[in-house]
Amino acid sequence: MATSICRTLKYLQPTICLNIKLPQPVFVPIRTKKRYFIPPAVNVKQKSQSEQETKARAAGVVVRQQYIERAINISCTAGIFDPYIPPEGDARLSTLSKEGLKQRTEQLRQSAASQLAFRKIKDHDNEFSTKEFPALAQQIFIDAHAALTQFNKEKLHSLVTERCYPEMVRGNRYKTLRWRFIESLEPPRVVHARCPDMISKGNLYGQVTLRVHSRQTLAIYDRFGRLMLGDEDEPRDVLEYLVLERHLVNPYGRWRLHGKIVPAWAPPKDPIIKTVIIPGPTLKPEEAFEDLHYQVPKPKAVQWYK
Amino acid sequence: MAASVVTWAGLAAFGRACGSIRSRLLGSSSTLSQVSCLHTSTELNSKHWERKNLVVYPPQQKDELRRPAEIYHCRRQIKYSKDKMWYLAKLIRGMTIDQALTQLEFNDKKGAKIIKEVILEAQDMAVRNHNVEYKSNLYIAESFSGKGKYLKRIRYHGRGMFGIMDKVHCHYFVKLVEGVPPKVEQKTGFDQAKEYVEQLRNRTIIHSL
Repeated sequence: MATSICRTLKYLQPTICLNIKLPQPVFVPIRTKKRYFIPPAVNVKQKSQSEQETKARAAGVVVRQQYIERAINISCTAGIFDPYIPPEGDARLSTLSKEGLKQRTEQLRQSAASQLAFRKIKDHDNEFSTKEFPALAQQIFIDAHAALTQFNKEKLHSLVTERCYPEMVRGNRYKTLRWRFIESLEPPRVVHARCPDMISKGNLYGQVTLRVHSRQTLAIYDRFGRLMLGDEDEPRDVLEYLVLERHLVNPYGRWRLHGKIVPAWAPPKDPIIKTVIIPGPTLKPEEAFEDLHYQVPKPKAVQWYK
Repeated sequence: MAASVVTWAGLAAFGRACGSIRSRLLGSSSTLSQVSCLHTSTELNSKHWERKNLVVYPPQQKDELRRPAEIYHCRRQIKYSKDKMWYLAKLIRGMTIDQALTQLEFNDKKGAKIIKEVILEAQDMAVRNHNVEYKSNLYIAESFSGKGKYLKRIRYHGRGMFGIMDKVHCHYFVKLVEGVPPKVEQKTGFDQAKEYVEQLRNRTIIHSL
C-alpha cells in the first residue's frame, strides 16, 4: 500500500500541492507573441539593379557566381562521319544472281578507307573480326529494340549511344510499342567502316555500318491503347543500314547502336491511321481553294540519317 | 481518491503501451514499401490534374470499343473570383467544344476570355500530343473552378480600424473528351409528378393484417 502511494505521488506531482514549497522560476508575462497580421506593403519602390547591388554589398550578402555550363558528352560522336551511300536497287537484286554477286564483291573490296578503318579498329580492339561482328551487332540491335518496347532505360543506355537515344525515345514515353523480330532474311554484312577522331588527334571512335535484311512487325499504340501505326500480325521485310559506334580508346567502351542510314531510294513509309491537316496556302478574299489547283509538295528524295 | 489514482496509472501505462505499438508499426513499415494504414502524402508541387494526362492505358484488342481520348487541362492562379468563375464553368458543362467557344466569345465576363484561351490550348494539345483526329469532335466533360492562393492586403476603415482584404485568385480545370456529348434526359414536371404518385402507391404497411 505504501509503495503504491509513493509511485502514484510521483505521477501526480504537478497537480497535487504539498506543504513543501520548492522555489519555482518566476514567469513574468510579457506580450511578445505576435497576435496580428499585417499584409506586405504593396507600394514599395522597385529598386534598380545597381541600387540592389549596393544594398547587398552593404549588407554583406554574397551572391554565388552563376556558372553557365553546357555539358559535352565524349562517349559518343555527334553524327555519322563519311556516311555509307547504299547503291540503288540494293534490295532488288538477289545475292544468288551473277549481277548481285558482282555488286557485293565490288562493294567490299572497293573502299580502301574501310579496310584502313578495320585495321585501326583491330589495333585497339583485339576481338573484332569482320566475320563475327555482324551476328553480335544484330543481337545488339534486337536487344536495343526489345529494351525500347519495355522501356528499360538503363539497358537501353548500355546498348545505344547518347546520340541515338533521344531519336529512339522521343515522343514514345506515353505510347505503347509492340515490336517483334521474326527472322533475318539475309545474313547481316559489314559494308562500311570509318575511324574518325574527335577534338584531339588520338581520340578514336570506330563507326561500322551493317546491312540488315530482316522481317519485323511493329505496332504503335497511343496513350489510350488505340492503334496509331502498323499492325501486330503483319510482318514486313525491312532493309536497314545500321551504324554502330565504339569509343576505341576507352577500355570500357562497347559497340553500341549509333544510328540508321535511310537511303534516298527508300520506299515511302506508311501514313498514320488518323487524318492530319496540312497547312495550305493563305487565300486572298477573292480567291477560292478549288481554283488554285494546289499540289501538296512532295519532299525531296535525299539520304538522311536516323 | 483511489479511483482517480488507478485511472492515472492505468492511463500512463496505456499511453506507454500505445507508443511502443506505434513505434513497432513504424519499424515494420520502414521495411515494407507500401503500408495501407499510414497516410502517405505526395511530394511538394505535385499538381494532380496535370498528372492525369500522364496515364497510359494498355493496348486495346481489335474487337473492343475504341476508347475515347480524354484531355485534362487547367490554369492556375487566375486573378478572378472562384464564385464568379463557377457561373461560366457551369455554362459550358456538357457542350461541344465549338458551341462552348462561341458562347464564351460573346459573353461579357472577364473570366470568359480566360476560359476560352484555356480551351483553345487544350484543343491544340489534344491534336498534337494526344492523337485526337478531329479537333471539333471534342466535348466538355468536366469544367469547374477552385480556390487559388489569396494575397492579403490592408483595407483602411474610419477611426483607425482596418480590415484584411483578400486579393482573390482561382484555378480553372477542364476535361475534354473525344466524341459526341452524352444526351442528358430532360425530365418534365409531369414525369416527376407521375413518379411521385407511383412512389406513394408502392408503399406497403408492414406487419399488417
